[in-house]
Amino acid sequence: MPRAIVLDRRDNVATLIDPGSAGERCTLQGEAEGDPALAHDVPFGHKVCVRPAAAGEAIVKYGQVIGHASRPIAVGEHVHVHNVESARGRGDRNRN
Amino acid sequence: MNASFLGYPRENGTFGVRNDVAVISIMDNCNPVTRAIADAVHGTLPVTTLFVRGQYGHDLEVTLESLAGMGRNPNIAGVVLVGLEPHTTEEVARRIRPSGKPVESVTLQPGGTIHAIAEGTRLALRLATRASSIRRQPCPMSALTVGVECGGSDTTSGLTCNPVIGRMADRLIDDGGTVIISETSEFFGAEHLFAERAADPAVGRAFTEMVLRLEREALSRGMDIRGTNPTPDNIRGGLSTIEEKALGAMAKAGTRPLRGVLTYGQAPTAPGLHFMDAPAPAVENLTAFAAAGCQLIFFGTGVGNPIGNMVAPTVKVSGNVNTLRTMPENIDFDASAILERGARVSELGDRLFDYAIEVASGTRTSSELLDVRETAISRFSPTI
Repeated sequence: MPRAIVLDRRDNVATLIDPGSAGERCTLQGEAEGDPALAHDVPFGHKVCVRPAAAGEAIVKYGQVIGHASRPIAVGEHVHVHNVESARGRGDRNRN
Repeated sequence: MNASFLGYPRENGTFGVRNDVAVISIMDNCNPVTRAIADAVHGTLPVTTLFVRGQYGHDLEVTLESLAGMGRNPNIAGVVLVGLEPHTTEEVARRIRPSGKPVESVTLQPGGTIHAIAEGTRLALRLATRASSIRRQPCPMSALTVGVECGGSDTTSGLTCNPVIGRMADRLIDDGGTVIISETSEFFGAEHLFAERAADPAVGRAFTEMVLRLEREALSRGMDIRGTNPTPDNIRGGLSTIEEKALGAMAKAGTRPLRGVLTYGQAPTAPGLHFMDAPAPAVENLTAFAAAGCQLIFFGTGVGNPIGNMVAPTVKVSGNVNTLRTMPENIDFDASAILERGARVSELGDRLFDYAIEVASGTRTSSELLDVRETAISRFSPTI
């Protein structure tokens, strides 16, 4: 089973330290326990959701906010640029 | 027993970890002559530059001070400056001379390139001969100033190489050494945690202002920095946002208090941890470290960025097992045991500290031996 690290108890994502395939369960290590099933193939080093996040909800890693969900994210989903938005350096949001 | 390394004594009481003669271009139009001189004489390093002609004001001042700073760097035993004309060349020479090391100059005007190469080669030969008579001697770790950098980052960076570098940084600071972290944009989203570590609240405020000023600049241009930072290879490596990257990047500064803030290429005047306000891309950031007098640089990488600095040997540290498999020749220190075998960060960080002593005493890095090195000074306004 691929391994996934949770760095802080407040985190809603885990980082895969092995590549994972759709349908496969990953073993959580670190600050959480469990074996969520991956909704899709997730590459080495990418993140997987370990607690459901509503659209607009903070994505938390290292116990810190790393961005916000741009749409609802379910447990086992790949969490990356397709469903997380950065809040910083976003001059594009200033444009009229 | 306190740790020590074997370094080269300099005239001003500093110690180098290398003992080269720097052949330094004063302007981009001098680079071919600089390279020809450095090619002709063993024991020399070509320090080339871009622009300078047509720069003015603050932008020119930073450039001249950075060129001089690389000449003053303790790793450099002597300097041959290569200029187009004497005025700008002397402007850099006078800034290096207080270090006490020999500084020579050649100019392309009026004798032309063949004359400048011949004269520069004679001067470089004389300085390299002199440098070769200097012997390494035991030095305290407090004589070291190191830069900590990350590039080609991925999600392994914040879990492996960066915290391992951070542990090494803590050990060096505990021994009286100096550590500089930089890459201002890579604090977006982590600045509140780093500012809390300031020994003096004014230092914390100055640091935060440097970070927010850069972000305001991006906002005022109406730009979205995504895709630039994090970069396309950061994103491929799993980093989704600049905030996530910043939280991992900060780990390479260890845990000790932040003592001071520096401008681009500015040398610290006291030991301990410092922040330098400089752009994140590796070549211009490593150049700023060398200009500030860093004798060594520790560079954490995830998906792999092999570039090193010409003046300051650059130690590549990676904890990504795939990168260690695909580009092992470009990595100096393997931190993959953390994810692969559950090794402790502190244990690998202590090993990296021991390796720092080795490299400071003469063990060569990959980017030195493969000559994967480049110099670039950041620009702060357009040329006229």
